[in-house]
Parts: sequence; structure tokens; C-alpha cells
Amino acid sequence: MNWLSWLSDFFSAPDHRSGPDSIVHRVSEHLLFSGEALLYAAVLAVPLGLLIGYTGRGVTVVTAFAGATRALPTLGLVTLAVLLAGVGDTAVLIPLVALAAPPLLVATVEGVRGTDPDVRDAARGIGLTHPQVLWQVCLPSAAPTLLAGLRTATVQVIATATVAAYVGLGGLGRYVIDGLATRKYAVTVGGALLVVLLAVGAQLFFALLARYALPPGMRAQRRAR
Amino acid sequence: MIRFEGAGKRHPDGTIAVEGLDLDVPTGRITVLVGPSGCGKTTLLRMVNRMVEPTSGRVLLDGTDVAALEPAKLRRGIGYVIQQAGLFPHRKVIDNIATVPYLLGWDRKKARARAAELLELVGLAPETGKRYPFQLSGGQQQRVGVARALAADPPVLLMDEPFSAVDPVVRAGLQDELLRLQSELHKTVLFVTHDIEEAVRLGDQVVVLREQGRIAQLADPHTLLTTPADDGVAAFLGRDRGLRGLGLRPASTVAVRPVGDGLRYGGWELALDDERRPIGWIDRDAVTAELHPAAGYRPDTDTLRTALDSAVLSPAGVAVALDAAGRATGTASREAVLAALSTPGTGAAGETAPSGSGEAEPGPAAAAAAGDPTDGATGGR
Repeated sequence: MNWLSWLSDFFSAPDHRSGPDSIVHRVSEHLLFSGEALLYAAVLAVPLGLLIGYTGRGVTVVTAFAGATRALPTLGLVTLAVLLAGVGDTAVLIPLVALAAPPLLVATVEGVRGTDPDVRDAARGIGLTHPQVLWQVCLPSAAPTLLAGLRTATVQVIATATVAAYVGLGGLGRYVIDGLATRKYAVTVGGALLVVLLAVGAQLFFALLARYALPPGMRAQRRAR
Repeated sequence: MIRFEGAGKRHPDGTIAVEGLDLDVPTGRITVLVGPSGCGKTTLLRMVNRMVEPTSGRVLLDGTDVAALEPAKLRRGIGYVIQQAGLFPHRKVIDNIATVPYLLGWDRKKARARAAELLELVGLAPETGKRYPFQLSGGQQQRVGVARALAADPPVLLMDEPFSAVDPVVRAGLQDELLRLQSELHKTVLFVTHDIEEAVRLGDQVVVLREQGRIAQLADPHTLLTTPADDGVAAFLGRDRGLRGLGLRPASTVAVRPVGDGLRYGGWELALDDERRPIGWIDRDAVTAELHPAAGYRPDTDTLRTALDSAVLSPAGVAVALDAAGRATGTASREAVLAALSTPGTGAAGETAPSGSGEAEPGPAAAAAAGDPTDGATGGR
């Protein structure tokens, strides 16, 4: 009963209905951070991954590097970023990008490398140039893996964007941290629940995307494997 | 014409794939490179479209060194078919076929219209175009691969074990289809296979290779089967090569006894229905009128092998000559078939070189292909 009454308190509080501390505002802040971080991560990781995956050069380095980044403590990175860049969006974006880029990079590399060698050979043999092979053959082949990587990155970023509040910024972390600070556990639980819902929603979104947005040939190929 | 001039390939680690090969691949004919794995046949084929760069010698395409041409541009002018078809999984069949026209900058409508033509040419239904490669059988995928290679109507076709991954029945169908296409299109085809049966069936000229791309024998299929250059080639050709060689010679040389001259052979008589279709052989000494199956062949499209086979299968030792509608036109005894085997002139001399590709199998197209030869062979029949 406690849980339910906490939640109803959380959702019915006037502050959470409108204004800067409203749920809608916090959720949109949260999504904005996350989206921005994912965008930057993709811009960094995908082209690099395409290149590395296509040439096959530096694959070992990438794999080792991506593994190492998992050991990075996000909270420590946030603190470091604040020290370097001061309190602001950048301080939050740096650790989030650092979190999202490695899985995207690995997924892109693996996706491109997973292109059927016969298909690549045929593509070259009938006269596609290297950029054409990459764009017309390897990228579509990598799409399912790439999408899976994007999903992993997104869920992680949404969950971790909570740390923005730690350095005084908005997002759903606000509820968690403020709730703890003021011993209003209803607020903490409500915030945590919203983060979970967002993450699960993102999972669902990508599952649907993989189901309906991929070219049919690619979907079947994934099933066949 | 494709000309290999001392073309060799040495890998960076020092191993030699091809020592240095001289070979002419004549225009408008099928040349088959055949040999065990590791003989360098695929390496040689890939030198033509610069998928492999020779480390010595050169490859000329109609007199031009291919090394002087920009690879992507060169390849768009050469059809390329590989074993696993290598179709783009994310594109519909029609767009797979239209790949090269798209690359050449054709507009979408024209490229697709061309692709639809090719779909028909390789014997696939128009609705196949809307499917994705994974929805096709292996044989169908291979047909699409051939269609894609032909889309921009290149004069040269490179085929690297294109039919090796499909089952024997489908393979035979694809081989027939290739011969039919070739009788219409007259491409310069360089075909690689490890299957000697396929080589003699398809090739106008067969190049038997051994390790490091050395030529063990270069001959038309008939000469290859009847006079292998050495024991190695003979072993590679396998058993029954004499009989298999009959499969390269037309059945039209067999003297046929017309139906009107009688249907009795010793104690046997051929029974025909009202349409003159054979019903079976009747043993005239037997009490019962039991029918024994009558095997037949088509003199205009079948080979000596089929004629001999029919004669051997028949209880009377007589093959029935049939027309296109399955009506008996006459009979040919075992002796008559054997006489055709030993007829000089139908065999080694004039016949051999050109007859190879077309006559290996029945079918009107095969006969048409056989009609094309350049030397005096056709006159002899």
C-alpha cells in the first residue's frame, strides 16, 4: 500500500503537474540530454565504425578500447567533466557520449564485417566502387546489428542520464536526488519509475523499428542466422 | 577475345598461384577452365576483371591491357557470376538485376524494364522480380545472378563455378539454360569449374589445368574425351569417357529404317498406335501378347549416346526414332547405331571442334547451337 500511495502522491503533487519541476518538463529534459548524447555518439562512432569495419584495419584496437570504456565510472567522469568544463550541459554530455559511443562503434564494425563475403565480392565484381559497396551493400547489411547497438546505447544513456541532476542539472534524476535529499521517498521512487518506463519504452521502440523499418531481405537474414 | 600473355600470380608469401599462362579465349565461344582445386583457375578468371592483379604478364581484352582500364568501369562491361550468386539481400530481385544499369546511370524505369526482359530471358516468372533473394531457391538465385550479369549486355561473361552449389537436377537445367542463352547471345564466356562433366558439356574449348595454372590439355570436348594428352588427364576425365564422348555427337548420323520398310526384327515386332506412337515390342513367339517397353530417341536433337542407350534398352536391340510429337519415324538397330560410331568423318575429323557445346543434350536450343559451328561440320550431317 505504501508504494501505491507514494506514487499517487508523486503524480498528484501540484509541482509535478506544471512548472519547471513538472513531470512533463523533467521527462523532456531527460530525453533531450539522452537524444543529444546519442546523436553525438552516433556522429562519432558510425562513420568510424563503417571505415574500420570495411577495411578491417584496427578491429582489435576498437574491440579492446570498447571493452576498456566499460570500466569507466560514469559518476567519476561526470565529476571530472564538471571540473574541466564547469557545470553545464557539456559536463553531462561528455560521460553520456563516452557511454554510448563504444557500443555503437562495436556494432557498426561488427555489422559491416558481417556482410556476406560473396555479396561483397559480387558487388566489387560487377563494378561497384569502394564507396558504393560500403553505402549500397555493407551499410544495409549492417543495419540490423547497428540498430541493436543503438538500442543498447539508448537504454544505457536513458538510465544513466539521471546523473545530470548530480551536477545540478535537470532531468528525471532531479526527483531521485531531491527526493533523497529531502527524504521524500515518494519522489525518489516516482522518478526512478519514470526512468525505468522510459528505458523500457526505448527498448520497445527499437524492437518495433527492427521489425518494420528494416528491408525485408535483411530481417529474414537475421532470422535465418 | 580475351588473351592471357604469360599471366602469373605470385602471392606476397611467395606461393605461386599461377606460374604464367598463355591462352586465347575466342570471341563468342564458351571456354571452360577445369581442374582440381588449387590449380589457379579462379585466379585466372579473376585476372580478367582485375579482381586479381597478375604479378607477371598481362591480360588483354580485345587487344587492350586490362591493367590500363579503371577497375569499376572495366567490370561494368564484363558479366560476373559466382558460385553463391552473391545477390544483394536487401534488394528486390528486379533491382538486383538492374544493379549495373543503375551504376551506368540509366533511369530507373529503363533499368527496370531491361531487368524485366532479363528475368524472362533466364526463365523466371515476372512476379519473381518483386521477391527478395532469400525467397528464391538456389537454382532461381543462380538464374538471377546470370540475369544480373547480362543486364548491361556485356560482350564478355565470367562464370566462376556458377552451378556448383545446386543439386544435380537443377544444375543440368541451368546448364541447358546457359547453352540456350549462348545460342542466342553469342557471348565470350570464360567458365570455371572443377566438374569435368560440366566442362565437356558446356565448353566449345576445354582447358584442363593442373597445379599453378599449367595447361595439361587444351582441346574441344570430343578430342579431350577420345584422346587425352596423358594419363593424368585420362584419370581426371574418369571412367566411360568413350561412352560419354558419344554424348557429344549427334544422333542424326544413324541410318534409320523408315517405318514403311517394316517393323519386324527377328522374333520382335514394334507395335504402334493410331498416331504412330510406339506402344511396345511384341514377342511374336510368345503365347501372350505382352508388350515390352520401346525406348526411343530424337534423331534431330538427341546424341549418339541416347540412340545407343535406346537400342541397348530395347529387347529387340532396336532403337525407335521419334519426331517432336513422339511419333515413330523409323527404327535403328544396334548395328546401325554402331555403324554410325565408326563412320569416319562423323567423329574425330570435321565434327569435333564445334559440336561440343550444343549437342551435349537434347532440346531444340541445343540443336540450334550446334548449327552455328564455323567449320565444315554441319555439312557432314
